[in-house]
Amino acid sequence: MFRYTYNTLVYGREPISIGIERVALAGYDGVELVGEPADADLKEITAALSANGVVASSIVSIFTPERDIVSSTAGTRQKAIDYVKGNIDYAAVLGAEIVTFTPTACMKIVPESNLDQEWDWAIAAATELADYAGTAGVRLALEPWNRYETYLITRTVQALKFIDEVGSPNLAYMADTFHMSLEEADIAASITLAGARLGHVHLADSNRAAPGFGHLDFRPIISAIAASDYKGWISYELLPAAGDVWGVLDGPGAPEFKGPYTEAAINHTKAIVSELGLD
Amino acid sequence: MTNVIGNEVGLSTFVLASPFTDNDAASFDRVADMGYDLIEVCIEDPSLLSANWIAEQASRTGLAVSICGAFGPGRDISAADAETREGALHYLKTCVDFAATVGSPHVAGPMYAVTGGPPMRDEAQRVEKRSRAALGLGLVADYAAGFGVRLAIEPLNRFETDLVNTVEQGIELCGLIDRKNVGLLIDTFHMNIEEKNIGDAVRAAGDLVFHVQVSENDRGTPGSGHIPWEEFFLSLQDIGYGGPLVVESFLPTVQEIARAVSLWRPVAASMDELAIDGLAFVRSSLEPSQDWVI
Repeated sequence: MFRYTYNTLVYGREPISIGIERVALAGYDGVELVGEPADADLKEITAALSANGVVASSIVSIFTPERDIVSSTAGTRQKAIDYVKGNIDYAAVLGAEIVTFTPTACMKIVPESNLDQEWDWAIAAATELADYAGTAGVRLALEPWNRYETYLITRTVQALKFIDEVGSPNLAYMADTFHMSLEEADIAASITLAGARLGHVHLADSNRAAPGFGHLDFRPIISAIAASDYKGWISYELLPAAGDVWGVLDGPGAPEFKGPYTEAAINHTKAIVSELGLD
Repeated sequence: MTNVIGNEVGLSTFVLASPFTDNDAASFDRVADMGYDLIEVCIEDPSLLSANWIAEQASRTGLAVSICGAFGPGRDISAADAETREGALHYLKTCVDFAATVGSPHVAGPMYAVTGGPPMRDEAQRVEKRSRAALGLGLVADYAAGFGVRLAIEPLNRFETDLVNTVEQGIELCGLIDRKNVGLLIDTFHMNIEEKNIGDAVRAAGDLVFHVQVSENDRGTPGSGHIPWEEFFLSLQDIGYGGPLVVESFLPTVQEIARAVSLWRPVAASMDELAIDGLAFVRSSLEPSQDWVI
């Protein structure tokens, strides 16, 4: 019943066509691509997708300090908006349905301005971007991050308040079970609370490894997603056990996240789907 | 069952005041009135606290004391430069002096490095840093042994250190230090992020578990989130853990602490509520289940 995709971010600097082939061979329907359209070879990607019989599912946005939706510098805020628009265009060209969105630079944990001001900037940006996405036939998915990666929106209730305030059908809620494992009292209950607003899902275990390699019980989580009548993608954003994820990916890399976790992740979820009689 | 062994249940001063100072006598009364057995005093600034004062307050209120270190900027026993290492060594010996005077069985905390230090991209660098940590903590352990004080080393999650994240890495560091009075402080908040199986990690550490901090997955009231508590308490039972359990959280209102542990929101209606409900939860978890009553 679910459509499955795997986030290629963790493959690091490996040529994208190799990653796409690996994801397809493991049985996924789609590939989640990193939102760096300026560095992407569109021809290589579309050729690899087509050769392997998979589609582009979603674009994961990378929010660096230069792309900070709530920077106290107006120019940086604008760059962040332009960056997300670029990802929406990229998604539209590839036929991807989702672009992820978080209104702070990743790993920035101290607000620059007051939180009310930052919230207002984030709402204004999301409103503009949701309109833009709607025109392009794409949806934005707001992803709360854990306390070590952001300070503004870390929990489902905050994300839902934000989404309701923007009030656009093109802005959805996104669940990432690693972040939720730090921030939510009950992950499944939070997904249920999001209900029809659930627009994208990242599954990762408590330690950010493939589901099954940590201690989360994914059965109630999968049940809650299914009960929300979710029609989107099940994606896996798995990342190495380090505060400095980029350092690991640029350096020694994370070999177990290639073949072993790519295969284990989808198999783990499919086994639960089958056990719960959801297939 | 652990309560028969008589575990003391404590509260961290991080829940009450930060930095904790000689002006915080009322905190001892609050902790005792709530029904705790122990207060965990964090030595943030040794110049603002005196060991004799802590001992007097403890004696006045009938509380036992656990001494815990705070490893902010500069307190880096595994730093590359000798001067910084020397400073951290001096601080840790001061903590041992506190422990000896107040009767704490240990000095606890992530004493192997500065917390939240810059990440090292190279595993060789981490290996070097761990060796320096082992060397320095060996000196502290020898000093502490003279007072009958132990060191309880705390693994922290990946976002707070890249040196010792898992219990397994903690056991390795204990092996490198190789002193009888060196073991681990395990903290459920960090274990939630890093351990594949929390019960297995506790059992792997076994007798090396010198001290325990209980905190929910969001640092809220123990019992209010999704930490596998039953598995955790059963594993403590399995290893025959008889030491203290300290409820730990942090005041989000103190800017320095909020930054250090990335806690930006209240995790309970009030810190008093967290402390009272946390105590009730830990006490009930330590009670023998019906299965155990013969």
